[in-house]
Amino acid sequence: MYEIWLVMNIVWEIALDFWPLLALGAIAWLVLMALAWRRPAAHWRSAWPMAAGVAAVAAVIGFLVVPTATRSSLQELAYWVDWANLASIALGIGAAALAFAWPAGVLWRRHIIAG
Amino acid sequence: MKENRSVQSLDPARRRWLQALAAAPVLAGAAAAPAPARAAVKTQARIVIAGSGLGGIAVANRLARMLDGAKITIVDRKEEHNYQPGYTLVATGVWPVEKVRDRNADYLPAGVEWVKDMVADFDPAANTVITAGGQRIPYDFLVVAIGVQLDYAQIEGMDVGAIGTDKAPGLTSVYPSPQAAQATWAAMQAFTAKGGNAVMTLPATPLKCAGAPLKMSFMLRDRLFKAGTLGSSKISFQSALGNVFGVKVVNDNVLERWKSLGIDVEFTRKLAAIDIGARRATFVSPEGEKQEMPYDFIHVVPPMRAPDAVKNSDLAWKEGPFAAGGWLEVDKSTLQHRRYPNVFGIGDINGTPRGKTAATVKKSAPLVAHNLVEVIAGRKADEAFDGYTSCPLITREGSAMLIEFDYEGRLTPSLPMIKPLNDGYFAWLMKYRMLKPAYMAVLKGRV
Repeated sequence: MYEIWLVMNIVWEIALDFWPLLALGAIAWLVLMALAWRRPAAHWRSAWPMAAGVAAVAAVIGFLVVPTATRSSLQELAYWVDWANLASIALGIGAAALAFAWPAGVLWRRHIIAG
Repeated sequence: MKENRSVQSLDPARRRWLQALAAAPVLAGAAAAPAPARAAVKTQARIVIAGSGLGGIAVANRLARMLDGAKITIVDRKEEHNYQPGYTLVATGVWPVEKVRDRNADYLPAGVEWVKDMVADFDPAANTVITAGGQRIPYDFLVVAIGVQLDYAQIEGMDVGAIGTDKAPGLTSVYPSPQAAQATWAAMQAFTAKGGNAVMTLPATPLKCAGAPLKMSFMLRDRLFKAGTLGSSKISFQSALGNVFGVKVVNDNVLERWKSLGIDVEFTRKLAAIDIGARRATFVSPEGEKQEMPYDFIHVVPPMRAPDAVKNSDLAWKEGPFAAGGWLEVDKSTLQHRRYPNVFGIGDINGTPRGKTAATVKKSAPLVAHNLVEVIAGRKADEAFDGYTSCPLITREGSAMLIEFDYEGRLTPSLPMIKPLNDGYFAWLMKYRMLKPAYMAVLKGRV
């Protein structure tokens, strides 16, 4: 219980360090979502494969880059806890990419169809 | 029945972890909504907190929420707040120095009076704190959080001000300040560029962050290796004790690693004197035998004791293993003073078996605040501390061990899947990126 509360606080404190960037990101995401929702006959389902692909690529890049960005390397992944933590971070990066790529994909497909 | 049996057959640690996982969604929801505040205890008590380090400010933040009407005063001249667990990262070139510098004013709770003066003396019989400026501050309850005295004066010829200057080439020490940590990194860079003879020291007194001397040794070896000068270098660790770390399994693990890394260790050799110009260190054995060692690089770890304000007061231990250092005489479970029940101690100043780290404060600040409020309310201090402390022991850049233990020296990993003696990426990431945010949450009195 305590450890979960501690982790939530760690995430909160890290977010505080980047709050202007996070606020801008949140606004950009809301604008993107609003634009995508307002489009008549938005193709959410057909935009999914591309968005999922972008998310997967982002997760893989995250997995490869995060250790170096934190002054470590993939060689330091010593046991499953290391792998699981890095995988979780990569999944988080993938999820963030998906959140942007999906509405962007809807807009892009609409643009292609309209064009 | 079958399910019950299978749950019961799990080992306790694993069961605890599964229960925590099951509770995660509930907790996440609870954190999203503001938790209902527990009713504050009404009191007009005067509470003085001596010291504005992690322990002092964490307890101040908690008491400000837990008490209604109390007059809380914090006494410390220091305006800069330093994230001391980050000093080893600064001293080894991993972090810039700015990451360990902050302002106390940003973390003190509203309504707390801040007396910007040093505590010079405690008069517990008269319930009074006396400052260096001569101010007498009366209290009903006292929290002592004034940390340790780095006793470099016990090393003849040592000049802390010379660290990082041309006057003392190769002289380093991570402990005194962010500036010293930064200067240590500059000296380490100069040394690793050429290689040579490195001497690492460890005194016989209780230490704050007892892992720091080990981290510095591991990292120096890593820096030499990366600079390509390891072959022309020698690292020698001189311990004034019979070991290099107080927890046996960790000690044995580190010694085994050092053997394979080529770091030599000698025991019961205390740094007694240093000629910073001639770069010669003098060590003495328990029999009084002296031996001089030349060095190109030396990491000096000072003997540590309680600051004079506690050491010379009636608050200090009068007998037993903590009397020599003048440490605060607290009950190791409740952290309440053994003779003055209106006095509590937190952090490095406590005369307790282990635990002079930020992690100790993380676990003991809630307990001290709770027990103090209980005593203010006329009840007994009822929460017990197990001596938890933690040391993310860096083994090279990018890898660390996450060692947690209690008063008895038992390994007590917070998460059961962590293998304390395995070094790897997760523990490094904790040290590099997560422990400072955790520290800030402790400072604000939230965890």
